[in-house]
Order: sequence, then structure tokens, then C-alpha cells
Amino acid sequence: MKPVLVIGLGNSLMGDDGVGCAVAERLAAEARLPESMELISGGTDLLRYAGQMAGRERVVIIDAIQVDAEPGNVIALDAADLSLDTRQDHAHHLSAIQAIRLLEMTTPAQFRLVGISIGSAGMDASLSPVLAARMPAILGRVLHELGCHSPESDAGTT
Amino acid sequence: MKTVAIEHLARVEGHGGITVELEGNTVGNVHFDVFEGARLLEPLVRGKRYDEVAPILSRICAICSVAHSLTSLKATENAFGIAISRQTEMLRDLLYLGENIESHSLHLFLLALPDYLNCASAIALAAARPDAVLLGLRLKKLGNRIQEVIGGRAIHPVNAVPGGFGRVPATEQLIELRDALSEGIKDSNAVIDLMAALPDTDFCHCNTAFAALDSAGGGSYYGGEEVIAATNGDRAIVRAADYRTLAHEQSVPHSHAKHSTFRGKPFMVGSLARLTINPHRITGRLALAAERLGLHLPADNPMDNNKAQALELIDDLARALAIVERLLREGIEDERPPAVQPRAATGTAITEAPRGLLIHSYTYDAEGRTTSADVITPTALNAASMEMHFRQAVEQCAERDDTALRRRLEMIARAYDPCISCSVHLVRKR
Repeated sequence: MKPVLVIGLGNSLMGDDGVGCAVAERLAAEARLPESMELISGGTDLLRYAGQMAGRERVVIIDAIQVDAEPGNVIALDAADLSLDTRQDHAHHLSAIQAIRLLEMTTPAQFRLVGISIGSAGMDASLSPVLAARMPAILGRVLHELGCHSPESDAGTT
Repeated sequence: MKTVAIEHLARVEGHGGITVELEGNTVGNVHFDVFEGARLLEPLVRGKRYDEVAPILSRICAICSVAHSLTSLKATENAFGIAISRQTEMLRDLLYLGENIESHSLHLFLLALPDYLNCASAIALAAARPDAVLLGLRLKKLGNRIQEVIGGRAIHPVNAVPGGFGRVPATEQLIELRDALSEGIKDSNAVIDLMAALPDTDFCHCNTAFAALDSAGGGSYYGGEEVIAATNGDRAIVRAADYRTLAHEQSVPHSHAKHSTFRGKPFMVGSLARLTINPHRITGRLALAAERLGLHLPADNPMDNNKAQALELIDDLARALAIVERLLREGIEDERPPAVQPRAATGTAITEAPRGLLIHSYTYDAEGRTTSADVITPTALNAASMEMHFRQAVEQCAERDDTALRRRLEMIARAYDPCISCSVHLVRKR
């Protein structure tokens, strides 16, 4: 089996919507991440990575999540979690949750979602000051979810 | 007064909405509300260096990233007077075909097909017709692979640069693409079989104007400088530098999108427009496929855009294979992009993105930094035509209940395959 594949999703021109990509890019320079893990900073179309998922046991998706929580909270969910909204409201790419359901037809990989709560998203090539300030804590928490324990940087997130 | 409102279309994202006002059987205001228009994206690239512009604008949309990237490069090259080699032109054509294959297979089989088969979503379709979903996923993956090999990354191509490519594909990679395309072409019959078996969607008929690049020279989505606009037998040629003639934008109340008209008439861009303006593309097996799909041009039914996409999809597979075979036959040269000499100038480019004409126009200062930038998307160009077809569909519908009207409006909107620039993508919990 190939190593775990970690894919950050989002539109980096739409402010905090791009936080999944921003986290993936920062993880690429992160010494605490095992070398065996493969990272993709992936834009908004998860189906693009169907080829890279072949032969994997685990795929972890990092994406912005709209949930009743302060911006910057990290929420790990099984992709099969029934509380996730499966409705489709994108122009011409499937939502991450819809894409996962379809990809399960072609790959035996287990999908896990690491959501980062955001307040709002508007046209901006940068993250909001709130999310940028919380990035060290977010990275610590995401690393924890990936099995790379880092208790000192978990503080401040749930 | 009754209002039929679709706040945001399923499978057409967030801030696109349709509102139709009805007074008895008379249709009042009709609005398609999209946040598109001239200079919307300018703040993202104003003051940026010429080599930063395409990588930023390619991120507007994951599905149209090649179109935005290559149109951006072409506009910059036009501004600085950079000529590209024949090999670069072929590789860009191939890259563009990869995106079209990906986009059409995603749209037809995962976004439009659920409507035809009364499935609520692609997930429901996967249960009812796994063969259709797997066909879509297979062809999309092939389109993505072409982009990965030529563009250098699965999305947001980083290998395409002003004047050419950072690196050219290796012969072994082209052989891999040739084999994958030879296999993919075997799905062509399945594409047409599936589309030909769909129920009829005769929602509206009206005289429709079209605009597309003139592809008399070979049918490239990327090459060409002249747009042909045709309305009811009246044809006009518009050069890229005169794009404002085509995108003659008017503000419309209650819509963020300014409406583009040509000689006062809304026009349609996209697959159906490309085939209507360039009917010479439909010969041989494409003509047979068009016959099986019941596609007769010029069409007056916007739903025929789905049939046109199916024809393009099988044509694109063949064209991509022909380019790869030619590159292998002639041998790939290890070309390097030329040195770029910025200058104060304006450059404009028009290409055929999967969903229609895409225009990028920039003005640079002497150091090669943008002083203005204009991006006009196919969806912005289509907005007026979409509203015209929404109106016709409601007027020509004998039923007046919300469900029937909403179904018509949603299916017509999806047939246009709209792309709302800079969409958000976040996951939602119920």
C-alpha cells in the first residue's frame, strides 16, 4: 500500500475558503510530518486526484468548513459522517463530500475529513487576520489529527 | 403577481439565482443573478509583474484553470509581441483539449445527467446508473492526466509560461498519453449511446444568436484571433482587440452581471455556438453521431448544448490523439521559452474555454506590471442569452406549477454549463 495522501482543498483567491490549501502548503515545510505522507495543495476539485488515490489505504482531506464555531477550530470527521451536507451547490465541480462518495466507487481508500472552521469567504488572495494569527495552532491540531502528536501547539483549538 | 425564485441552483453554486415574475400567463421580469462582469478580477492582479498574472488567474476556477492560464499568457504575449513556436502551439492545443475532455465529461455525466434521469444528485445517479458515473470519472481522469503531463500539475498549470513551456514532455510521457487516449477513444460509442437514449427536453425554441472563434484553420480552441458572431443569417467578424464590440455590456437592475449583446441581441457561447459557427467540424463519424443525437444546426433549443458537448467530447479525444501521434512522429524538441522584454502596451486574447469565449485583456507599464486587467468569462457573455431562454421556457410552458417551471429553468441553466468565477468550496454541516 502507498503512504497516506493528504489533500488540502479550497480556492486561494477567496480568502479563508483557501485555508485547506494554505495548511497543505505549510505542512510541506513541516519537520513533524512523516516523510511517508504525501501532500497535495489541491484547489477546489477533489476528483482531479483520483489517479493519485489508487493503491492508498487512507486519504485525508483538509478543507474549510462552515459550522457553528469560532474561526480556526479544527474538526476531524469521518467522511461518512451523516451530518455533512451532501447537497451540490457548485457551478461545475462536485462538492468535496459528493466527490468522496463517487471516489469510493473506484478506490478502497478510507477518507477522513479535517475541517477548519471559517467565518466567511470573499475575494482576497490572503487569509483573514484571524485565521492567519491562528495558523500555528491550526497546524498543531492538524498534525495531531494526522497522528503527528504536538501537544504544545494544540492549545487554543478544539 | 407570482414569483418563481431559485435562490441558488442545485449543482450551480451559491450566488447564481434565477427569478421569474409572472402576472397570470404574462412573464414580467426575468433575472439570472451572477457576480460576473468587467474588471471584477482586476484587484487580484493590478500592479503584478507579467509572469505572476497567469498563475494567479489560473486559480479563478479549478475546472477552467488551463483556459484562464493560456488565455492570460496569450494576452501577455500579444502585449509584448512574443511569437510562440509551432511545437508550443501544438502542446497548448493538447493542454486545452485535456481541459475540454475533463470539463465536458464532468458536466455531462455528473452534473447534467442526474436531471435527465430524475436523480437528485451525482450520488443518486451512482446508485441508479453506475455505468454512467464510471464513464464520466474515467474520461475526466484522462483529461486530467493530459493536463498533468503537459501542464506540469493537475490543476493551475505552472509549466506554461510566457513564450512556451518551462519543460516539454518526455517521449515516454507522450507514449503513455497515446496509449491512454487510444483506450479512451473506445468510450466514444458509449458517450453517444448514453446521450442518444436520454429523454427529450424540448423546453423552448427561439431564434438564437451565437458567437465563437472562427476555427476554419483547424478547429483549435486555443488558436485563432477572430470571433464570428451570427444572428439570423447576419454574420460579423470581431477581432480580439475589438472585444468591447462583442462584449457590449449594459447594466441590468437586480443583476451583478452586465449583459453582453451584439447588435442589440443576446448571444450564446459554448459548444453549441462553436459547432454552429464552424459546421465544417461535423463530418464523418461526428455527422453520424449528430444524427443519432438528433442535433440539427442551427439549433434553436439551448438544451442542444449538451448534445454539442457530447460531440465535442468524442472529437476532442480523437484530436488529442492526433496531436500526440504527430508530436511522437516529428520528435519533441527540447525548446526553452524566449527571454521576455516587457514594454508599455496592451494585449488582448480570446480563446474557447470549455463553456465558451473567454477574453483576457491587460495593459502593462514599461516594467511589465499591470496597470489594468479585464477578464470577461463565458458565463458573463451568456447571461443575457440565458435570461432570454428562461423567459421563452416559461412562456412556452403550458404548466404553471412551481415544480415544472423550476425543473425547466434549472435544466436550461445547467445546459449552459455556467461557471461562476471565484467560487467558494467549503464543506457544510447540516
